Amino acid sequence: MRIEQHPILEFRRGKKVKFIFDGKEYEGYEGETIAAALHAAGIRVMRESPVLHRPRGLFCAIGNCSSCLMTVNGEPNVRICTEKLREGMVVNSQKGKGVLYEKRS
Amino acid sequence: MHRHEVIIIGGGVTGCAIAYNLAARGLRDVAVLERYYLASGATGRCGAGFRHQWGTKTNCLLAKHAIAKLETLAEELDYPGGIDLKQKGYLILAYTPRMVEQFKKNLALQQSLGIDARWLTPEEAKEIVPVLNTEGLLGATYCPKDGHANPFKVTDAYARAAKRLGVKIHTYTEVLDIKVEGSLKTVLTNRGTFQAPVVVNAAGGHAATIGRMVGVDLPIKPERHQILVTEPVEPLLDPMVISFYHHLYCQQTPHGSFVMGLGDPNEPKEYNERSSWQFLVQMAGKIVRLLPPLKNLRVVRQWAGVYDMSPDAQPILCEAPEVPGFFVAAGFSGHGFMIAPMTGQLMAELILGQPTSLPVDMFHLSRFSRGELLIEPSVV
Ligand SMILES: Cc1cc2nc3c(=O)[nH]c(=O)nc-3n(C[C@H](O)[C@H](O)[C@H](O)COP(=O)(O)OP(=O)(O)OC[C@H]3O[C@@H](n4cnc5c(N)ncnc54)[C@H](O)[C@@H]3O)c2cc1C
Ligand code: FES
Repeated sequence: MRIEQHPILEFRRGKKVKFIFDGKEYEGYEGETIAAALHAAGIRVMRESPVLHRPRGLFCAIGNCSSCLMTVNGEPNVRICTEKLREGMVVNSQKGKGVLYEKRS
Repeated sequence: MHRHEVIIIGGGVTGCAIAYNLAARGLRDVAVLERYYLASGATGRCGAGFRHQWGTKTNCLLAKHAIAKLETLAEELDYPGGIDLKQKGYLILAYTPRMVEQFKKNLALQQSLGIDARWLTPEEAKEIVPVLNTEGLLGATYCPKDGHANPFKVTDAYARAAKRLGVKIHTYTEVLDIKVEGSLKTVLTNRGTFQAPVVVNAAGGHAATIGRMVGVDLPIKPERHQILVTEPVEPLLDPMVISFYHHLYCQQTPHGSFVMGLGDPNEPKEYNERSSWQFLVQMAGKIVRLLPPLKNLRVVRQWAGVYDMSPDAQPILCEAPEVPGFFVAAGFSGHGFMIAPMTGQLMAELILGQPTSLPVDMFHLSRFSRGELLIEPSVV
């Protein structure tokens, strides 16, 4: 199933684009949210809860609840339910609280 | 009518620490009157950092003793959850030759008092804070034993320990006026009348108002300071970073969120606890230049609180000469959280007429009329 109507965002389905999620290539449509593309690809677990590490799925879908935080192009804690998909995005699921900066040694 | 031995006005960290210290010394018939909820004033709004790195002997000693108490406070007060103590140091940045000179003087003083603080080159500073932009930086001072604690938990720990010893804490009880008849003080509130021979003014930014109720003129003025908190991320900033040059401080709490604030030298001296969008813009601009990776952090909340500023940025701790039995513990000028464990102890000793464990004469109100200000060179 593909999310096509959204309570707060308008998205027109653009052209087909490729993106990387957790190291694997996926396809979605430009202009839809990252969450919509992942949902269409059958991905339901968006993050894990910070203390008990339980799976968390799409919940509010409007950028309010933090249930879908992922690292997008290196930026942690992106709400992928409101972040729109673009060609070549690198999306990674997050363990813990998100890494803002990795010390290169 | 409630009768007590001591009435403490203000349920911030200062009032609660004094209450506990009195009760722990056997004076248990104490009431704390707080206008809103505990820690609703500066205490619950503060950056909650503590540092040994001061520029006067008095402050170094006060901080050193207070921090030693914070280190074991959870055990002393039997507070099982702890106070979120983090001791990963303060890094104080120097940008001008004058700062370098002053900081090195401060270091010599601190080291002479047994404080483990040291000078760092910009490269060494970057080793401790890899995300630091060292452009223009001449060096920094660093004390690994500096840190921060949770101000709500510290206040709650004192309040609970005090209550267990018999102290009465009345929240949502606002002091409206005080009448002095002989040695007895009658305190009128929105929730009834309280009487005691001893009243302690620990009302923070409202201390001057309380002073006026008994005719004691306190040169304490409220000054707004703004602060914000971000979303949490994995640990990346160990010490509190302070820059007097940028008037800012920034730290990462154990929870992972960043707490940062900015002093505005042009802030009017008035009671104002509202936050402004200008602060958000300035704070973000400055911190992103200093710690660039923070640009990808989202701000969760911003707020403001007041510093209770005294003319020399030092507290007033004494019994008012004009009104025996009226004690003052206010004027903390932005560093009253970290010294609260000592404020509590020293005030309890003063009230009980015991010898004080550190000299307190220099904190007497009369220093202002004598012109003997205790200028502290290292404040944000
Ligand atoms: C933004 C900010 C950052 C800070 N950062 C730090 C820091 O990093 N380290 C540090 O050590 N300090 C810091 N401070 C300073 C610190 O918060 C204060 O010095 C300290 O909390 C003072 O505690 P207090 O109990 O004396 O005052 P408060 O916490 O202000 O308590 C006074 C209480 O008196 C009550 N009150 C007032 N009038 C009445 C009345 N008429 N009747 C009854 N109750 C009344 C108020 O409601 C209030 O709760 C900061 C302050 C601010 C605002
Ligand atoms: S699902 Fe609630 S913020 Fe994305």
